[in-house]
Amino acid sequence: MLEKRASDLVVTMPAHRPIHIALNFNDKYWALAYAVMRSICLSTMERKKVVFHLVHTPLSPEHGAVLDQIPAEFGVTLCHYNPEENAEFLATTARLPTNARFPAIVYGRLLLDRLLPPEVERVIYLDCDIMVRRPIEALYDIDLEGKALAAVADAFHDGIKLGRDIRTNQSPFDSAEPYFNSGVLLIDRRALGRADIAARIPELEKDGILAKLYFDQDLLNYIFRGQWLELDWRFNLINPRRSHETLGAHILHFTGTSQPWHLINHAAFSRTYRHVMTNAIFYRFWRERMQDRIRKLLRLRAKT
Amino acid sequence: MTGTLHIALTFDDRYWAPAYAVMRSISLASNRRPDLVFHLIHTGISPASRAHLDSFANEFPVAINHIALDQHQAYKAFVADLPIAKPFSPVIYARLLLDRLLPETAQRIVYLDCDTFVRAPIETLFAENLGGKPIGAVLDAHRHMQMLGRDLRQNSDVFSYNFPYFNSGVLLIDRTAYASADMPGRTMELHRQGLLSRLQYDQAALNLVFKDNWHNLDWRWNVICPEPAHEVLDPFILHYTGPRKPWSLLPGAAFARLYRHVMTNDIFYAFWRERLRARLPGLLKVLVPK
Repeated sequence: MLEKRASDLVVTMPAHRPIHIALNFNDKYWALAYAVMRSICLSTMERKKVVFHLVHTPLSPEHGAVLDQIPAEFGVTLCHYNPEENAEFLATTARLPTNARFPAIVYGRLLLDRLLPPEVERVIYLDCDIMVRRPIEALYDIDLEGKALAAVADAFHDGIKLGRDIRTNQSPFDSAEPYFNSGVLLIDRRALGRADIAARIPELEKDGILAKLYFDQDLLNYIFRGQWLELDWRFNLINPRRSHETLGAHILHFTGTSQPWHLINHAAFSRTYRHVMTNAIFYRFWRERMQDRIRKLLRLRAKT
Repeated sequence: MTGTLHIALTFDDRYWAPAYAVMRSISLASNRRPDLVFHLIHTGISPASRAHLDSFANEFPVAINHIALDQHQAYKAFVADLPIAKPFSPVIYARLLLDRLLPETAQRIVYLDCDTFVRAPIETLFAENLGGKPIGAVLDAHRHMQMLGRDLRQNSDVFSYNFPYFNSGVLLIDRTAYASADMPGRTMELHRQGLLSRLQYDQAALNLVFKDNWHNLDWRWNVICPEPAHEVLDPFILHYTGPRKPWSLLPGAAFARLYRHVMTNDIFYAFWRERLRARLPGLLKVLVPK
């Protein structure tokens, strides 16, 4: 009723076009980025046409080397971008709120038109807590019907927007207003450029709107209100649990507390996820996090 | 589609707070708030409950029309002999009289049970094409047991396994066609045949009268027994049948936290205290036997 139907996934003959996919992350999420890429490569029928645009702050050489193995395994193309070398990115993110959970890099998706090479006309943006299970070209080739981007409506929008009693937050959004999850986006690059987000930030700050917005997702919803195409929910299944496995989701988005890179979890397809990430990387990533926690714990004890 | 959106709820004083939550959920999700008219068809409502319901119009620009059944002769005569067993109340039969209770201007009506939570614009449901059918509803996923009962053969003289049986908690109604069906007369006929007492009361009556004459809505318009796993499927209307109720303190139902905020925390806890007070005498009898 409300969204564009794509439940009958039909993969047509390969088109003569590259498939541009952007991820943005920092070194903390290197293994997740690897799993997203590998899940795309495993499920696509057009590997040779896939171009990954990795927008990230500097990675450790060891982590970077793992990511660079993807082209050798699948024949895809990989490009790295450091947004901190872009003056506009630095100037824009300096005005935006950040914290440990939402570092400046999360705003990379807002400025993809400034960061990616000019030949990229259309790009899929994906969060790194994602696993793709069906050919990504089915999403890439969707007709945007003149809209700036396509996304899935966020099932949890009311509480996000309006808070306690669905009226406490001083939100610029109405409760009835459509609101998308920004973890999976199909973006028309020219439309993103026309929106000129970098230039609008100072204006939003001055009007007091920026202070009422919750990080990048609110900002995107505010700027592109009425200009986005609603996708079938299968393209971004939020907080997927085991009971969702039989529903044929195209893209799983591991929001929530149960995440498949944990040793014990209730996330959908968590065993498959471990094999997609590969067992070597999965356990290496786990050891790294354990070591990191122990280091933090020891430092805490040393202080007290 | 333009014009007034007529929404009917039927309830007694035990459900005044869920009725409030249904109204607020509709108002939050609608883009046409000034067109909303809530027809609150109730019995035994206390002045305090009524004041809470009326206060709702201070927050949203909607209209509220109270239809008190306590003194309504046609309703009282209709339900006087009809069977009912706990936890149900005779007010469940009021939906069968909607064409007699609502003003004549209400030509298209959405009826909702009070254990529902609307998450999509209700005007989208109103705009559904009924294809000439008198009502729109959702096929009941739990219909087989409801129709056929124990061992799926108790009521096999009335229903077959493949009988297209809808859930009557969410109904889109064409008033003229609904009136033509003469629900009160047909229901009394079923009662005289001895069927009503062994079937699911009003829901069974509606299904028998409108057999093969209803429009099947998208399942998301009436997601029965919703659990947290259903949340990501973005249901349009949640229908809290089953034991998990979002107004319980330990609910286990889909969107339970959100429901509390939709009902508002003040009303949620006032309603909880009210139920607790009502249960106290019974609890005391158990804890302190004579």
